[in-house]
Amino acid sequence: MSAQPNRRTAITGIGVVAPNGLHAETYWKSVKEGLSVLDRITREGCGHLPLRVAGEVRGFDASALIEETFLVQTDRFSHFAMAAASAALKDAGLSDAAADSPYSVGVVTAAGSGGGEFGQRELQKLWGQGSRFVGPYQSIAWFYAASTGQISIRSGFKGPCGVVASDEAGGLDAVAHAARTVGRGTDVVVAGAAEAPLAPYSMVCQLGYPELSTVEDPARAYRPFTSAACGFVPAEGGAVLVVEDLDRARRRDADVRATVAGHAATFTGASRWDRSREGLAHAIRGALDEAGCAPEEIDVVFADAMGVPEADRAEALALADALGPHGTRVPVTAPKTGIGRSYCGAPLLDVAAAVMAMEEGRIPPTPNVFDICHDIDLVTSTARPAELSTALVLSRGLMGSNAALVLRRDPGPAAR
Amino acid sequence: MSSEVTLEELAALMKKAAGVTVDPHDLEARVDTPFAEFGLDSLGLLGIVGELENRHARALPTDAEKCKTPRDFLDLVNSTLTAGA
Repeated sequence: MSAQPNRRTAITGIGVVAPNGLHAETYWKSVKEGLSVLDRITREGCGHLPLRVAGEVRGFDASALIEETFLVQTDRFSHFAMAAASAALKDAGLSDAAADSPYSVGVVTAAGSGGGEFGQRELQKLWGQGSRFVGPYQSIAWFYAASTGQISIRSGFKGPCGVVASDEAGGLDAVAHAARTVGRGTDVVVAGAAEAPLAPYSMVCQLGYPELSTVEDPARAYRPFTSAACGFVPAEGGAVLVVEDLDRARRRDADVRATVAGHAATFTGASRWDRSREGLAHAIRGALDEAGCAPEEIDVVFADAMGVPEADRAEALALADALGPHGTRVPVTAPKTGIGRSYCGAPLLDVAAAVMAMEEGRIPPTPNVFDICHDIDLVTSTARPAELSTALVLSRGLMGSNAALVLRRDPGPAAR
Repeated sequence: MSSEVTLEELAALMKKAAGVTVDPHDLEARVDTPFAEFGLDSLGLLGIVGELENRHARALPTDAEKCKTPRDFLDLVNSTLTAGA
């Protein structure tokens, strides 16, 4: 964003595919009501695994939303991304953006696990029948980059494309990368992340994470910031945003849903949760600096909420380190306790919730969480009405990435 | 298995391998139209070649996956399959 500081970036479209809603509006309704949809995993071939509870996206009919030529060559994670991208572009009034100027629209996505279900199917053919039975689309479908490529091909976009592979927090880095791309002169960037890590192969890959919750009761499986914290619950889904040059958005009279004000990222090592305190605090300070934002201006924090006692403690302390006394006063929320963590998709879903929270003046609660054992003002049980102008979204990954993103409500052209 | 690949079989393979729906009669009428205009990309054609190689248990020439039109493709594939059948 430093390339052209006078070129500010707006979020003009939001598309969501989440366990608690297949559209942005239904997602937000579930989030603000504090609905928890964590449930026993029903996916075929997963029943014998020790991971029992997750946030599954149910009722998603890919064939109703995506052309068959794209379906056969893509994994479920790209189906989510393509569906969310279409919804975001429609929300932004840019469904036909490529028709006018294809080079003015780019795409950036983040991914943490790629197309596990597709990859497993083809690898089973490899070992079951032989290499001649592996389909050619294996060469593109399971890579992290698949969703970026397919979104751009499907919509006819020819602007700058990118893929961020920087752990779960990479979801926020993708939004920042999109904002920088806009700063460098591209009018519009479709930015987001969606994941589909609930297939047998993908789940086995996750079983080695000590942070994974294997608790069998959905109501008790993911309770960060409590003394009962026992790890996190994985999820499917994600969100895609339309990030656009603010002046251009105003010229075309688009609904500016929020502005991307600041971002910073740090790295403190895999599962070194004690060190994430310093890393997260540094990221928060960096994001505030870039946004030109004082700690007291932060009206709400969307927490990473790992659900591991040491990590929760580090996050609470990082807020105090970076925000000072305001760190214990500012309302904090973690709606993801009701849906699970869809890896890179999780911080994107938080960005979507943060934008809609600012629009509606309502801080959504943290489902399944009640007795807080850290010195933060966590919003629980029911949504809290509040005047919200600035939101801070935090994210960390299991591999050691930390990121912070500052979003502002658009004051409108008159207030500039 | 009969060694001649028909337009019907090609249409079914385009559907199975690449998700391209095309009526066999339409394929016959547009037999010199590039595959790309049917929505079939190079990886899709490669998948069809692989499927035919598995069905007929024999290798097809590497040029098969580079054919631009249904007629070129069927001519090459069928001349290979019928030779020494």
